[in-house]
Amino acid sequence: MSLIKRTWTPHEADEWTKEDWIAIIISPFSYVLIGIGLAMSLFLLPLGFLLLGIGIVITVIMFYVIDPKLKAISEGYEKKQREYLKELDKIQRWEEK
Amino acid sequence: MDLTSHVQFTPLDYFWTFAYLVLMIGCGAIFYRMGKRSGSDFFLAGRGLPWWLPATSNFATHTATDTPIWFSGLVYKHGLFGIWYSFFAGWCAISAWVSTRIFRRSLAGTQAEWQTLRFSGLGAELMRGWLAGWQVAMCMFIAGWVGIAMGKVCGFAFGWPLWVGLVLFSTLCCLYVIAAGYWGVIIADVQQGITMLIVIILVSVWVGIKVGGPAKIVQVLDPQMLNPFRTSGLFSGEYSVLWLITMIAVPFLGGFGMATHFDWFVEAQRIQSAKNVRDASYSIWGGTLAVIVRNSIWALAVLGVYVIAEHSTSTSLIAAKREDMAWFIAGFKFFPVGMVGFFFAAILAIHISTIAGILNLGSMYATRDLYHHYINPGASEKQVVWIGRMTTVVVLLGSFFFGMMIGEDIVEWLLFALWFMTAGTWVPNILQVIWWRFNAWGYLASWIANLGICWLVVWILPAYGMMENWEKHQQFWLLIFLIALIYIPVTLLTKPDDMDRLVKLYVQTRPIGFWGPVKREAERRGLLKALDEIDKKAERAAEKEEI
Repeated sequence: MSLIKRTWTPHEADEWTKEDWIAIIISPFSYVLIGIGLAMSLFLLPLGFLLLGIGIVITVIMFYVIDPKLKAISEGYEKKQREYLKELDKIQRWEEK
Repeated sequence: MDLTSHVQFTPLDYFWTFAYLVLMIGCGAIFYRMGKRSGSDFFLAGRGLPWWLPATSNFATHTATDTPIWFSGLVYKHGLFGIWYSFFAGWCAISAWVSTRIFRRSLAGTQAEWQTLRFSGLGAELMRGWLAGWQVAMCMFIAGWVGIAMGKVCGFAFGWPLWVGLVLFSTLCCLYVIAAGYWGVIIADVQQGITMLIVIILVSVWVGIKVGGPAKIVQVLDPQMLNPFRTSGLFSGEYSVLWLITMIAVPFLGGFGMATHFDWFVEAQRIQSAKNVRDASYSIWGGTLAVIVRNSIWALAVLGVYVIAEHSTSTSLIAAKREDMAWFIAGFKFFPVGMVGFFFAAILAIHISTIAGILNLGSMYATRDLYHHYINPGASEKQVVWIGRMTTVVVLLGSFFFGMMIGEDIVEWLLFALWFMTAGTWVPNILQVIWWRFNAWGYLASWIANLGICWLVVWILPAYGMMENWEKHQQFWLLIFLIALIYIPVTLLTKPDDMDRLVKLYVQTRPIGFWGPVKREAERRGLLKALDEIDKKAERAAEKEEI
């Protein structure tokens, strides 16, 4: 079994798994490293280039991990969306409750 | 060179300004036919947008007229440390993968609508009504402070009275929002977002050249100004570690919840307008990345102006108390003749994109959650669109009232409205997503208690000498603690929400966190298995179609 699961059925993708947690943990670091790294790089500070570089690398990793799962969730959910929207329309109307 | 004198426009500058105004309003209004098709089109562009459209809109809406004022003041005072303040947008980092996914799957058009999906009974209805009313008022308030920021910029640049900038451009913007609703907002946002990003980059490059390059700035500035990691101790001083943690942890962790920041309400509309969960997540993540990159680019321009103003000319912006105008000075004073009009056009893009989004958002809450839900549930699509148009005008008029009330104290009001008026609800906003047992009564109690207590802690008790005037982050944590003393007992002493409602929400949205009893009930009813069967059936049907 590979460390990162890249093939998902919609049903499997509905569960919260380690792939979600990897994205959740990397994502804030990605913003901070890119934001601070870019600002310092614009002043040609060497630390800035290092932080920016790490930020870009971890961002690529994050998307590599989360994208297959999001695709599976979206495909699975789009099939059910029409049914849910009908249901929602009923809830929307206060008088029908 | 006097950096604070008024701007002189040439005919070419007037041309840029007028041409751009026509382009922006025309670009939005041209989608008139699509906007009027249904309520879903007027407020959500039919829920079918690819991720890059709401992402650009996210960036354009969150680049408001007050943003460079606020950000210039911070970077001018704190140097690169000031960038940390801008990470309030960081809630999107976690939200993109958590609450955005859950909210998109709920299909709720607004955060108020989410209340009647998440909670049940009278408590849910009270929460929906409360949040809808609150958001209509907040949209007026925000459009007011963004409008008054435009008044301030126009006063600084042209010497106009404050109200002219407030009223003139917001009214012009309102024209295309009335005509095309969210379709107009989103399409104009793309064009405005691209324009403002180009100008933001150009201004930084121009100032960088003017000052003699980044190396020159590094050479002249105090090294501490270029150190984003400076500290003044653990708990005290301007750069305390506690303050840094508050600034970083609060927004980022807020991404597990919904409505932890005012921007959530704006993003909720973009999330639901995306065509699926993946596009919703990417629009939130990508749009916010653009906001963060923008701040870094702005910092170069602001510190470039700092070097020029404080080291090379006789006009000290600190002495003139104009440091918050640093970015505007960069464009107005350093761009060549003819380009100044283009810079002003970009300011209009910055202003109009935010106002348009906020007007449509306020109108959405007034129409979908108040009119359609409570007043006329049988309303036709045509009626919904017309009420949407009328309430857009109401939000605009309300913004003028709030704008004139705020005056020039933008930052003080902004801090209070965005930070303290929601501080005590920060944890409940997360609990509503991650804990099944948290109910509508606990949530309602936290909102009401916070609104009362925040005024006491921030304004009233310190004014009468009954309490020390604490640092902002200390007041924030105090509010979180005090409000928890109210909503936790209220939640535990009242019944959980109806299990039928919770199971339905669980099956549809699959929330993260502590939902064990609800999951077990859904399994007992065979609902998760049934969904799996639906998935498999749909897959088989798709395969057959392909063959």
